[in-house]
Amino acid sequence: MYFEVNGRKVFASTGGKPFDNTKPVVMFLSGSGLDHTFWGLQSRFFAFRNYAVLAPDRPGHTHSEGPCLESIETIAEWLHDVVESLGIDRLSIVAHSQGCLETLEYVFRYPDKVRSATFIASGLATPVNPALIDAAENDPQSAIAMMISWGFGQAGHLYQGPIPGNSMVGGGWKIMGRNVPTALATDLRACDNYKNGKAAATSIACPRQVILGGKDRMAPRKAGMQLVEHLRQPELHIIENSGHMLPLEAPDECRSLLRDFIFANNPAS
Amino acid sequence: MSHFNHFDTLSLHAGQTVDDEFGARATPIYQTTSYVFPDTDTASSIFNLERGGHAYSRITNPTVAVLEQRIAALEGGSAAVCTASGMAATFCAITAILSQGDHIVASSQMYGGNISLMKNTLPRFGITTTFVDPTDSEAFRAAIQDNTRLIYGELIGNPGLDILDLAAIAKIAQRYQLPFMVDATFNTPYLCKCFDHGVNITIHSVTKWMGGHGVAIGGVVVDGGNFDWGATDRYPTITEPYAPFSGLNFWEEFGPSAFATRIRAEAMRDIGPSMSPMNAFLLLQGLETLSLRMDRHLSNTKVLLEYLGSHEQVSWVSHPDLPDHSSHKLAKKYLPKGAGSIVSFGVKGGRDAGRAFIENVELASHLANVGDAKTLVIHPATTTHSRIDAEALVAAGITEDMIRLSVGLEDVRDIKVDFENGFRAAKKIASA
Repeated sequence: MYFEVNGRKVFASTGGKPFDNTKPVVMFLSGSGLDHTFWGLQSRFFAFRNYAVLAPDRPGHTHSEGPCLESIETIAEWLHDVVESLGIDRLSIVAHSQGCLETLEYVFRYPDKVRSATFIASGLATPVNPALIDAAENDPQSAIAMMISWGFGQAGHLYQGPIPGNSMVGGGWKIMGRNVPTALATDLRACDNYKNGKAAATSIACPRQVILGGKDRMAPRKAGMQLVEHLRQPELHIIENSGHMLPLEAPDECRSLLRDFIFANNPAS
Repeated sequence: MSHFNHFDTLSLHAGQTVDDEFGARATPIYQTTSYVFPDTDTASSIFNLERGGHAYSRITNPTVAVLEQRIAALEGGSAAVCTASGMAATFCAITAILSQGDHIVASSQMYGGNISLMKNTLPRFGITTTFVDPTDSEAFRAAIQDNTRLIYGELIGNPGLDILDLAAIAKIAQRYQLPFMVDATFNTPYLCKCFDHGVNITIHSVTKWMGGHGVAIGGVVVDGGNFDWGATDRYPTITEPYAPFSGLNFWEEFGPSAFATRIRAEAMRDIGPSMSPMNAFLLLQGLETLSLRMDRHLSNTKVLLEYLGSHEQVSWVSHPDLPDHSSHKLAKKYLPKGAGSIVSFGVKGGRDAGRAFIENVELASHLANVGDAKTLVIHPATTTHSRIDAEALVAAGITEDMIRLSVGLEDVRDIKVDFENGFRAAKKIASA
């Protein structure tokens, strides 16, 4: 669906059901250069289990009007505007990679808004190799190739798909291809510049869940465990055979973990 | 970088991880109609496209999925759907986005089955086609109507072998916000990756060079994931809620694989032209050696072009790699390794001499197929294109003396020996 935030058009997938803010809401936030389609194998499940689903494209990404937002802090404020403009009350956030930094900052600023927060494939910060930022700006196809290579584990590298006949790598390439050079480069710089993760994580009091990939090379286990440490005993799951793109590489495991966590902490009627 | 992306590697490995129960290295043949669900929630989730998985082999099958994912990887697409034949692929792809009242602009020089589908079958469902000269890119633009919803062609036209100017036609398609669908059977992704030149969807008869051994019929539709179906309101089958799946919006939910998912959700379910697991296995064996075979097809073709071009019983030879072919420049641009292994030539003495040639070769098989490991010959005017009228025959570039040769993998010296027998018989007819 399209809606307006601060006078600009925003697109969000609603999981195949009309958005209804009287239901508990699950908001899915994607990683750098990605969009709503990243969450197809989780979002539709919740939409058909009496939740309202919102998987927005960040400003300047895929179907949402620009300009791109240049810092995690600005995106956190934009998320607040999204929540307010749609009248969202009972909110669970499910975030991946860059979306996790946005969630840390959003919950830090607006702690009363969130019933639960799930952090998938992230640490407290996401320092980005300058070569990747440079490639995103000047040689986007090379940047996508690097992210595809580092982002996926074996199944992705072998062009398998979570849906028979689909290619994770092929789909990921097309999604990021829509968001280069500006959106991807802006996202990567925003990640690289974000420094408030430690303070934000320590402040979060709502139920929190962390899901890490055992073969994640973009947010390695060591970085993920720093997030776990500062979130103070979150529910932790490590899916050993997955790379960074957990919602695609291990969609069923992710969905099951999300189901149990969100059903318990933000139940639908 | 551990992201494997070279053709020979992908043709062997893409789409498959080793079976973790028994460690089978080859792709197992899942010869089953259906799959046991662990619980009702899983079953309903699969049926509602909330998760991946297999429910019934008409829709998906694990062996077929490996072939689909492998071809998608080789093409650089986001998804693929295999079908029972190449014609089934074409029908499913077109009807996924076109409905009654819609219009296609298509090349006039295509496989007879494609021509017949668009000229005879689709009009019964209210879908009409304007055929245009494939060598005139501007003709594609001129034929676009308000109700046009698709531009269609074959990169290497069958059997005249004219080459589509992909980039020029893609530019027109983009300007008019129309998808550009190409039957890429004759080139395979080894010779040309059509998506790199602006094509949005490719169709293959996998039966041909991809399978390459003449043992299984199959087709595939590959979604390039590079067409924005939501940019206009012309493609409601992709962008509007689909009632049978609780109002699923393919464009919204599946993004770059929206088109392929629509085919799977509708055509495979409601029409059911599915590929059998056994055929998928056989076609996978062929696909593993595609590049090796294509290189040999091309080298044999090169030798035979020289041989035929200097033969006294041959009145003309046509192949885009020949400098005098009207598409030679485009062939160099889009098919730098070589413009495939189909050769058209005329036998002196016309129709009867052509028949004598075909009936007197022993190694080359007279049959209605191309892209086999074995050399094949046929007379299009009386076989593959016999159901199209004289006017369309001319438009398709077919003459009565034309022989279509599909160059095989035999030792090329033996192919020449075989052809000498055919030409001797043709000469007797011609001089009688």
